[in-house]
Amino acid sequence: MRRLALLVALWAVLLAAFLAAPAFAQGPRVDPGAPPSLPGPALEPSAPVVAPPDLVMDLSAARVSITSAFQGEKLLLFGMFDPPGEVVVVVSGPPARETVMRKERFLGLWLNTGRQGFDDVPAYYYIAASQPLQRLLARGTGGEILSLEDRMSTVRSVGQRESDELTRFRVGLVDVKRREGLFPADIGQVTIQANRLFRVDLPFPSRLPEGVYDVRAYLLRDGKIVAAVSRPLPVSKVGFNAQLAGWAGQEGALYGVGAILMALLVGWFGGAIVRRL
Amino acid sequence: MEIYLPIAEQSINVFLLLGLGGVAGLLAGMFGVGGGFLATPLLIFVGIPPAVAVASQANQVIANSVSSLQVQWRRGNVDLRMGLVLLLGGIFGSSVGVTLFTYLKRIGQIDFVIAVLYVVMLSAIGGLMSVESLRTYFRNKRHPETPRGKLHQHYMVHRLPWKMRFYKSKLYISALLPIGLGFVIGILSAILGVGGGFVLVPAMIYLLGMPTAVVIGTSNFQVLFVAANVTFLQSATNGTVDVVLALLLILGGVVGAPIGARIAAKMPGVALRGLMAVLILGVAAQLLVELLRAPYSPYSLGLREVLK
Repeated sequence: MRRLALLVALWAVLLAAFLAAPAFAQGPRVDPGAPPSLPGPALEPSAPVVAPPDLVMDLSAARVSITSAFQGEKLLLFGMFDPPGEVVVVVSGPPARETVMRKERFLGLWLNTGRQGFDDVPAYYYIAASQPLQRLLARGTGGEILSLEDRMSTVRSVGQRESDELTRFRVGLVDVKRREGLFPADIGQVTIQANRLFRVDLPFPSRLPEGVYDVRAYLLRDGKIVAAVSRPLPVSKVGFNAQLAGWAGQEGALYGVGAILMALLVGWFGGAIVRRL
Repeated sequence: MEIYLPIAEQSINVFLLLGLGGVAGLLAGMFGVGGGFLATPLLIFVGIPPAVAVASQANQVIANSVSSLQVQWRRGNVDLRMGLVLLLGGIFGSSVGVTLFTYLKRIGQIDFVIAVLYVVMLSAIGGLMSVESLRTYFRNKRHPETPRGKLHQHYMVHRLPWKMRFYKSKLYISALLPIGLGFVIGILSAILGVGGGFVLVPAMIYLLGMPTAVVIGTSNFQVLFVAANVTFLQSATNGTVDVVLALLLILGGVVGAPIGARIAAKMPGVALRGLMAVLILGVAAQLLVELLRAPYSPYSLGLREVLK
């Protein structure tokens, strides 16, 4: 019985040592709170790009923190504008090159036979408006405000391919992103209250790429942009998650050794303990 | 209760992972092979990216084998010399395997290769096992006491050079044989995230002709080091080992293994092998259906590269 207690204690100590190890192993090189690729507090809260008094907005959180309990998040974007006018909100994630794979049947089996790269695909794209977007844009705002469809038609394809094929791959890309919740809707609804307050929910799924997202609100009058505000929204893993991911990305070999030690210790002592019960 | 996995980059139910680890442990306890062949496809099935599933599963295999090796070592069931020779091939094989894995991942064919390899291997092993256990079952019915024949069969392969004596296994065979076997298992281990016990154990019995008593322990020994090599290389080259995922699987497995061992002690060997054959064939059939069925959408996303 005393031996068992001793084993349990030893196990706990070693496990704790393992969990704490990344912090020591990492040393001073990496700031555990914020991976180096992401800007620190300098970015938030930032000043609006254009700062006319007729449009202000804020978010219910300054950043999206991916913790161990993260299951996706809904942020509230709210603000106020000087009437009259309509509000359009555009949230877009950091652009990246995405490779779209297409499966085809080959000898009865489904396997990837085609691939197409696209540059400058936003990690996330959500556009919301207080009125049907077509109606707002038909009056010729165009320019900066892009519907999801327009935004996706601007992504550049990598290499040459005939345009019909390219369109199919692009539609496939939008479908996949939509299923993952990264393109939440064609067009969301901005709710206006008391003729000058606006609000919209921004849904973020659990599989959310990290990076600095761009949140913009526009005030439109007679189809013209009369005011625009924007702010960055950092999305990043925090705490233990950030520590582990940073460690795995930058110190892969060391992380591997840590993973092996963890498995050895838990396997050895866990096995020994459970066998005695 | 959901938990966010930092490397797989998604949230998943904790109890699902504990349960999966528990089932893998149960199998490990019952059949003496790791449950990797079952756990990896299941992880992929619940939506973990195959690259992360395979690499993290290799991490889990370490814990599984060390726990089982502890018992086998104490009972003196490890042929260290054979284990080391197997390991020589295993380290080579797993290093080649991780390189192959990285390449296949880059060209976007890793999911397909994983699925096809599983189907081929599992149906072959499941088929052989079911034939064998059926045969034993009917033979035992007719003559409960089979006279013991030669220690093992002699094949062409026994004429290979570099013969070595393996005292514990009572074998005098070419070292090339276990090295080659270790090499193949190493590749499988790296690409499929399995320890390879379910291939190694039958191969040691039928191909090398090792006595059954030392097979499990020796297999555990080789699997432990090969899995460690895979974990290290996957982590260093692909960064796809998710320790949170692995830890949950391990904790489930630690509880499952002794339960499996207790069940195994109460069941006759033939029934045990028959059951395992059915299980293996079931997983193979499931994977085959996945390959044959039209996907929900033919499109999927490959690598996402942030351009600087």
